[in-house]
Amino acid sequence: MKKRIRSPQDAAAGLLLVVLAGIALWGGAQLSTGSLGQMGPGMLPLGLAVLTGLGGIGLIVASFFVPGLALERWHLRGPLFVLGAAVVFGLTVRPLGLIVAAPAVVVISALASSESRWIETVVFAVVMTVLCVGLFKYLLGLPIPLAPWWIGY
Amino acid sequence: MTELLSHLLLGFSTALTLQNLMLCFIGCMVGTLIGVLPGVGPIATIAMLMPLTFKLEPTGALIMLAGIYYGAQYGGSTTAILVNIPGEATAVVTTLDGHQMARQGRAGVALGIAAIGSFIAGSIATLIIAALGVPLTKLALLFGPAEYFSLMVLGLAFAVVLARGSVFKAIGMIIVGLLLATVGTDLETGEERLTFGIQGLADGIDFAVLAMGLFGFAEVLRNLEAPEARDVVKRAIGRLLPSLEDFKRSLWPILRGTGIGGLLGILPGNGAVLGPFASYAVEKKLARDPHRFGTGAIEGVAGPESANNAGAQTSFIPLLTLGIPPNAVMALMVGAMTIHGVIPGPQVISKAPTLFWGMIASMWIGNLMLLIINLPLIGLWVRLLKVPYRLMFPAILVFCCIGIYSINNSPDDVMLTALFGFFGYALYKVGFEPAPLLLGFVLGRLLEEKMRQALVLSHGSFMTFVERPVSALLLAITLIVVVVAMLPAVSQKRDRVFAEQP
Repeated sequence: MKKRIRSPQDAAAGLLLVVLAGIALWGGAQLSTGSLGQMGPGMLPLGLAVLTGLGGIGLIVASFFVPGLALERWHLRGPLFVLGAAVVFGLTVRPLGLIVAAPAVVVISALASSESRWIETVVFAVVMTVLCVGLFKYLLGLPIPLAPWWIGY
Repeated sequence: MTELLSHLLLGFSTALTLQNLMLCFIGCMVGTLIGVLPGVGPIATIAMLMPLTFKLEPTGALIMLAGIYYGAQYGGSTTAILVNIPGEATAVVTTLDGHQMARQGRAGVALGIAAIGSFIAGSIATLIIAALGVPLTKLALLFGPAEYFSLMVLGLAFAVVLARGSVFKAIGMIIVGLLLATVGTDLETGEERLTFGIQGLADGIDFAVLAMGLFGFAEVLRNLEAPEARDVVKRAIGRLLPSLEDFKRSLWPILRGTGIGGLLGILPGNGAVLGPFASYAVEKKLARDPHRFGTGAIEGVAGPESANNAGAQTSFIPLLTLGIPPNAVMALMVGAMTIHGVIPGPQVISKAPTLFWGMIASMWIGNLMLLIINLPLIGLWVRLLKVPYRLMFPAILVFCCIGIYSINNSPDDVMLTALFGFFGYALYKVGFEPAPLLLGFVLGRLLEEKMRQALVLSHGSFMTFVERPVSALLLAITLIVVVVAMLPAVSQKRDRVFAEQP
């Protein structure tokens, strides 16, 4: 069965669209569509979701007939640590402040690259934190918490 | 004519205050600083630096943002010439001959002619905007919801044509973009749509969040996978000022590039992207000796760079006159304007003339500043480019996180950006282009609003879009554009144009 897919990249692309459409249809199921003259809130989202799904199915079907590119390898390390760093920033910036969140981003994201060196990363994290605090907090006065647990803001 | 002069005078008197000059200068400076980083294009740069402008009054903020934009553009060209890495699609062409010149020890001349060409193009484009601004706003008054709808559909059609790869996939991306735009509270009924009960989504997905995820984070992920192929020029930068001979060769390419880029930039649907490609193709065709192209021909830098800058500038026209953002950068500008209480559209010219003309004048001043500040600073940029990527990407990420957090002071936004970063990575892996998605998202809400208005007026009949002559004309052009793009001969040519992109 698998051998008959001639364009794995397009098949995966189609699958992605079908999944997106599924999520949208599920999330918007209770919205009313209304009529064309008086459209309800659901008309466009659901209509677009159906179109997305049909497009996805079209891509999957076509991938059986039209030869195309192979699926590229997916890596886990990069997305895990780079995006993980951003998530950690989001989780820590309010309760712990910038002086924790900023170095956390540097250190965690450094794990994404095999070229990172430990001491360099730690030093760089400190430098970046000082720079960001000076620039964003003091120079620009953005309302971003510094260290609520320590200095109260 | 006198009207035009008095408008420009008003603009310059606004832009030339000490404070606004400083803001323009700082904008150009930091814009270049961030834009020079490989893999950080103007979209990510503006999203990252937007919080810098929050505390300013609207005119100053927009002047600074415009400065950041031009700085980011010019920074991208610098990276293209010195490192052979285009910061964004429009700089791709510059790498072809620009980097070759750099390898021959003529990096300085390449950067110099890019700056001079951009300045000339910018000056002419500024005049075009000033001249077309008022007549086009009058045109906008003739537009009803149906016409707006059709114009945006035309814009989306252009985006399909200009995207790389399969037309079908590009259309798919536009639909997904439109779908993402429907997330949030429905404008008419106040009902929440597709928010999955998440509080942060009630106002819809923030454009900066989506753009930063798709272009900032996903770009870092792509760069981490691509083996380090940075080829920072080791040769001397050389003299910066082009010789008289260089200048003679470049003058016509600069003027032609300005015309081509400026014209394409006005089109809705990111026509500006095509400018540099078109200009390069034209220069190659007109050259007495086309073989020099690709081996360091100065015309191959001068033309496309001018086209790039002219297009960047004239793409303000649809935004400022019709309120339709023609590309992602302009959509970020809409976001910034809205934060400052300015709703882009035909009313800006009459209601806030100092803001409108001040911004236009500052475009010209910004170009001049780029010329003055960048040439002496090239040594600094070269040194910055030598920083290894393993240090650069954590720094980029920290700035991204702080930038996104600061836009709405929302930690959720940062996490949502991470989610879109993964989405962008997945799109890249299965061969989807994020640019059409972004444009679909940009136009989505306005498109829905105008479509619903038009259909209410016509009692639910779709015929309204073809019965009104202007709307019908726009839809007819849309149809022609899409059909032509799908013709085998054209699509082959299109593949060849984009094949020059890595």
